[in-house]
Amino acid sequence: MSSSTVSVSVPTPTQQHPFQRKIDEIKPSKPDIDFLVMDYLISHGYPRTAAKFAKEAGVPTHLIEEESIEARVEIRHAIHKGDIDTAINQINDLDPQILDRNPALHFALLRLQLIELIRNCTSVPTSDITPAINFASSQLAPRAATNESFLKDLELTMTLLIFLPSNDLQPQLAELLKPELRQQVAAKVNEAILTSTGARGEARIYSLYRARQWSEIRAREAGKDLPASLPLGLEPSLVQANGHGEAGDVMVQ
Amino acid sequence: MFRRGSYAQVASGNAGSGQSNPVPARSGQFSHLANSGSFPLAMSSYSHSRHARSIDADGHHGSMSNSLSRSGPVPSYSSQMGHMGGYSSLQDAGAPAFFVPSYLRGSRHAEKLEEAHKARIAAYREQRSTHSSNAGSLSTSSSSVNLHKPGHSYRGLTHEIIERTPAFIEEPVAPWPTRWDEKDKFAQMEVEEDGRLAKFAGASKSGHDEAAAIRADFPMPRQCGIYYYEVTVVSKGKDGRIIGVGFSEAKVPLNRIPGWEPGSFAYHGDDGLSFTSTTSGKPFGPKFGTLDVIGCGINFRTNTAFFTKNGQYIGAPFENLKPNVQYYPSIGMKKPNEALRANFGQEPFAFDIDSIVQGEKATIQQEIALSKGQPREHGSTDETQFIQSLIGQYLAHDGYVETAKAFAEEAIEEAQALAADGQADVLYLQTEEDIDAINRQRIRAAILDGDIDKALKHTTAYYPSVLRDNENIYFKLRCRKFIEMIRLCSELNAQVLPHIIPTPPSKRSTASTLNNRNSTATDEYDFEMELDEQLGVHNGAPWGDDDDEDEDDLEAKQKKLQDSTTAMIEYGMELKQEFANDPRREVKRALEDTFALIAYENVRESSLAPLLETSGRVPVAEELNSAILVSLGKSSSAALERLVQQTEALVSELADDGGPGAFINVRKDLLQ
Repeated sequence: MSSSTVSVSVPTPTQQHPFQRKIDEIKPSKPDIDFLVMDYLISHGYPRTAAKFAKEAGVPTHLIEEESIEARVEIRHAIHKGDIDTAINQINDLDPQILDRNPALHFALLRLQLIELIRNCTSVPTSDITPAINFASSQLAPRAATNESFLKDLELTMTLLIFLPSNDLQPQLAELLKPELRQQVAAKVNEAILTSTGARGEARIYSLYRARQWSEIRAREAGKDLPASLPLGLEPSLVQANGHGEAGDVMVQ
Repeated sequence: MFRRGSYAQVASGNAGSGQSNPVPARSGQFSHLANSGSFPLAMSSYSHSRHARSIDADGHHGSMSNSLSRSGPVPSYSSQMGHMGGYSSLQDAGAPAFFVPSYLRGSRHAEKLEEAHKARIAAYREQRSTHSSNAGSLSTSSSSVNLHKPGHSYRGLTHEIIERTPAFIEEPVAPWPTRWDEKDKFAQMEVEEDGRLAKFAGASKSGHDEAAAIRADFPMPRQCGIYYYEVTVVSKGKDGRIIGVGFSEAKVPLNRIPGWEPGSFAYHGDDGLSFTSTTSGKPFGPKFGTLDVIGCGINFRTNTAFFTKNGQYIGAPFENLKPNVQYYPSIGMKKPNEALRANFGQEPFAFDIDSIVQGEKATIQQEIALSKGQPREHGSTDETQFIQSLIGQYLAHDGYVETAKAFAEEAIEEAQALAADGQADVLYLQTEEDIDAINRQRIRAAILDGDIDKALKHTTAYYPSVLRDNENIYFKLRCRKFIEMIRLCSELNAQVLPHIIPTPPSKRSTASTLNNRNSTATDEYDFEMELDEQLGVHNGAPWGDDDDEDEDDLEAKQKKLQDSTTAMIEYGMELKQEFANDPRREVKRALEDTFALIAYENVRESSLAPLLETSGRVPVAEELNSAILVSLGKSSSAALERLVQQTEALVSELADDGGPGAFINVRKDLLQ
């Protein structure tokens, strides 16, 4: 990104950048934005919020009658908690084809389950690691045999057995224990379920957001006259639980 | 020199025949208009690059426009009227089709053009109905068709003025070619079939370098991303030699075949070579002749031009086209009876250009999908979290309080499930802005409830500077408070009055819930009361039981009314004192109006009753809300709205020069 091509004049509050005027001239339609929000709530799986939103924003209710939403929330919840067995059963209850058609996703779930097993059996120094090894050889090894990248993932996961418990894992291994991995897999499962019902896999707002990032980068590359920065005006909004102040109290009673 | 005698002459294609003027001068805009069946309404929307040229090439605007305007010869005038009439009836029947080439359907540019087209038809209809009484005058009809006022001598200049001030669209939208241009052709070229067919009508006499070329009415718009058109060789002529299909810049002379002159690019049928700027071509494709369909397109993203033959892609012989030059579809031929018919998108194409455009779209969308730029202004680097807070902020900002609450709860549940042993950070969505949102909602709710004091108190407490800096809003709030007091008095009055005459209990119960009655209800009520009176049903005896309570209640109410009235008058004096010397006219007016309310004993039946309506609270609330937002250094829109705005603006920036943005329609592709 070449910021040198950006116009020299720094926009001051009194002197507006011409591009800002172009932005202000665009009047997004409220229904469009409400739809975008509803789409996000449904596809991400916030059923209670979606119901309230339908009421408050007057969004057509047929949008919230998405069948899989409750199941998707439960499955996400199970994966986030590390209860992969339950999650797999629930996915199969919903549609056994989902995992059949997505071997990579199935493998990712099983590996997550293996990680949980390893985590459990290494948390106590004297405990038995055989359940983990058995699970790996019965469930993951057959799948890994046919796929190079599965095999690599399996090998990496198994090395956890050697190093755990440890506070000083190499980054590659530490990644495996982070909640983000569960979050990623849960998101992929969610997408797969949605796709299986013929819906869009991912909420539209993600594409919109990426298009926003992409177009700014490309416009700056092309030397378009843009302000030095284009803030969305979203302040840092993630306050940690222990430090939260009045705001949390007001909103979350 | 080119001088047009009459409209009819031009229309028949004879104007200037035999002239050696190398650049055919553009004749009147009218002739074009009258002949353009397909896209007449778009004409004035677009600054034609060739207007400048018409000044260069043609020194006779004065005389020409004379012939077109007031002092114009009668035959010319009447023939124009004939055409106008024909045109308008066509228009009403929906015949002059606005068409969208198949590969551009759903594109943002096509949407913009269609909007402009519709706006023009609407404006045209409106003007026509407005002016129908004197439809016989040239000035009316010409302006109603094309917003061209007659009597301007310099058309180039006139265009500038007129096109800068279109009433219905903000900026001109570049139309795509619709036909061959009657005024941008070699003299001996004839245009038929609504401008689709171009035919060489002259005798081949001059040197072997001479040929006849023609350009389309509009340049290929870069905003399309890809522009493509096809021509069918209808007849190659006897000893058919040299048919060129391609494009050229606006100033390229039309007495030579495209490709030979600088600024022109073409694929020639006699030898299958590709030419640009020179008479020596490069090996390119097969030869072509009668009944072959040749397609020519430009990809403005890559600045390359490509050709097709009979639905088959041949190749892209021209690269590095100038990004800031406008190219017109152009064809040229050399022998009598050679003819080419163009398809600018009115019909399906022989070549599957749609797939090419779809492929281009897919490429761009792929690029977008992979572009996971880091959210820079945010503590979190995670896209998921960023989006989550965007949504949360929108819900709070736009006042979906219940939804925001539910969202925070569900998001916390999610985060807690994810956090190992509940030890990790639980993420809240609340922000300082959310406190503001709630404060603002409280203030807004207070105003909407008519509780101005509460709103003033909260505003002063949370945003002390707002009322200081926005004296007019402060004044409006004070006035509103006065109005609310008058409202209260008038309500109490309405409750107290009926009790002067004893009423049946059913009515009385109504009276006690009078709080929000409007004047109509009161009227009805009074009327019924009178009726009851006449019927003698007001005898108090059967309902004597609750009379005592009512007496107390009534007394209390009368007391309250008295107090309220006193308070109201006091407040009014105060208000007057504070603002009486304010020099601003709107303040004086508002004061006068407000105080006039007191003059009425029953305000609700006065002409000033609308001032008392609760709906009057809304604008005050909105104004204060905006002022608070501004005082916080915030725009009045949520981050999510700005995301949409910025994306559209940026994409359109990337589309204007034919860049990758041309292949994205934010609303269609991303929002719906």
